[in-house]
Amino acid sequence: MDNEPVIAVRSLQKSYGKVEAVKGIDFQVGSGEVFGLLGPNGAGKTSTIEILEGLRPRTGGDASVLGFDPDRQKERLKDRIGVCLQATNLPAKIRVQEALELFGSFYSRSLGAEQLLKRLQLWEKRAAYYETLSGGQKQRLALALALVNDPQLLFLDEPTTGLDPQIRLEIHGLIEEMKAEKRTVVLTTHYIEEAERLCDRVAIIDEGKIVAMGTPRELQQRSQNRSRIEILCSKPLSADALPQWPDALETQLGEDGRALTVYSSHPARTLVEMVKWLDQGGVELVDVHLKRPTLEDVFVELTGKKLRD
Amino acid sequence: MKTYLAVITMDIKLALRLRAVIFFNYLFPLIFFFTFATVLKGDSGAMTFVVTMSVTLGVLGSGFFGAGIRAIQERELGILRRYKVTPITPTPLLVGSMVTGWIIFIPYIVLLLLMAHYIYAMPLPQHFFELLAFISLGLIAFRALGLVIASVANTMQEGTILVQLFYFPMLLLSGATFPSEKFPRVMQILHNFIPATYLVQGMKNMMLRGQGMAEKENLLAVVVMLLTILGGGLISMKLFRWEKEEKIRGSAKLWVLAVLAPFFVMGIWNWWRS
Ligand SMILES: Nc1ncnc2c1ncn2[C@@H]1O[C@H](COP(=O)(O)OP(=O)(O)OP(=O)(O)O)[C@@H](O)[C@H]1O
Ligand SMILES: [Mg+2]
Repeated sequence: MDNEPVIAVRSLQKSYGKVEAVKGIDFQVGSGEVFGLLGPNGAGKTSTIEILEGLRPRTGGDASVLGFDPDRQKERLKDRIGVCLQATNLPAKIRVQEALELFGSFYSRSLGAEQLLKRLQLWEKRAAYYETLSGGQKQRLALALALVNDPQLLFLDEPTTGLDPQIRLEIHGLIEEMKAEKRTVVLTTHYIEEAERLCDRVAIIDEGKIVAMGTPRELQQRSQNRSRIEILCSKPLSADALPQWPDALETQLGEDGRALTVYSSHPARTLVEMVKWLDQGGVELVDVHLKRPTLEDVFVELTGKKLRD
Repeated sequence: MKTYLAVITMDIKLALRLRAVIFFNYLFPLIFFFTFATVLKGDSGAMTFVVTMSVTLGVLGSGFFGAGIRAIQERELGILRRYKVTPITPTPLLVGSMVTGWIIFIPYIVLLLLMAHYIYAMPLPQHFFELLAFISLGLIAFRALGLVIASVANTMQEGTILVQLFYFPMLLLSGATFPSEKFPRVMQILHNFIPATYLVQGMKNMMLRGQGMAEKENLLAVVVMLLTILGGGLISMKLFRWEKEEKIRGSAKLWVLAVLAPFFVMGIWNWWRS
């Protein structure tokens, strides 16, 4: 990683009339890093990322992208970055290869269409009209277009939203390739798995503010170490009879009395005590799960919200 | 230059792939042409009228729908958003729209004139190429006007209303569809203020009286159309919006009137003279 950050953002603000979409956020992205903005609908992800792409003017704060001011040096910045927009379209009757050649012609340097089409598995579809492509193919074309100027920095706004799980994995693979090629990537998502799998660092953003930032692992450890123990018992238990196990933070019993969930800061210790207690009571274990805290738990804890409605 | 060429070639390809474009640019005016030509065959004055009407229909369709409505559509569909991400500026897109419209339109005009001559015995205009140049100017001027409408309309609905507001009066009062000589006094006055009038009048002068572009009356029309192209081009560049979320204030619609100002001056002048 170079010392000089590729992106530096200070007290960034964005208002639309009275709506304050971004309320002063700070972050930096280093060279070669995959940086994720994770947040629910309306959190301000698109506003933030489109300010950095030079598409929307900021209303406050400072931003520097590849050394350019995205407000004042739009054209030079746009020539150097690759962008995959959240909501966009191409003419219905443009062919896949034509789209790459057309957009390639807008940049001071561009990669050959053939190379990109092959890489993004669109070679067979090169003569197809845009309107005939499937959702996954359209998204792969969007990524091909983002790569057409061979950018060192890419912005991907919800690159997998609305796609089948299978296709989503495919897109993840492509993003990992970009990373392997040492490109810097900023992506937004409301899929936890995506952030966990792809990002070196994640900023959790809610209502226009960054509520936590770090590597996925660091963030998980912040979650007060709340691991979840789930046990399915052979026969119903009575809620009144349950003891306070060591290190247990919270105990829940399902309606049928058989599903027991306990949150613990030291799950191994708690689990041993629970198994002992159940054994003494002559209760057999049908199923046992131990779940480490996920980014989702961190998110819910920090914002009191679910990521998706 | 690379960008201009790429945009124009792509625009032409896309236009030719759209049935609606072919229909409004070729089929629809041609149907008019054949219907009227068959009825009025042999009368060369009447044939001139038929040709003028078919050309004007084509010019207005190309300007308002081909350039104006299409530009709004591209914005509303989020296509322009994709362009916004790249280093391209609005200029190649606007120039591209004007040039593409012209390239698609000119073969139709030539076809029309040749058919009128060879099938329906209309004499060929004395200054054939000057007539083509004159019509070309008219076409580009109306495309510029269409693009200004697109740049001041916030929604497709607004755009459609604006277009109708211009399209029908131009069709009815320019003398393209009804002979203006027979208009009652009030309509005569209005007629002078309709931009399409100058296109229609110039075409009639050139086809019926063997005039060239340099004739004083036609030259004035040329100047006015050039001003429209220049003004319309600059204004649509200045007010260009890439996304439908970027709204423009209502008063910006007055810019349309600014583009039409030269025609207004012409109208007053003609009114005063008559
Ligand atoms: N052009 C706009 N005009 C007015 N308000 C806007 C505009 N764009 C976004 N907003 C508002 O700003 C807030 C943040 O929106 P933004 O699109 O940045 O969120 P997001 O995190 O990208 O959400 P999503 O996950 O739905 O894409 C929302 O309340 C939204 O309604
Ligand atoms: Mg968004």
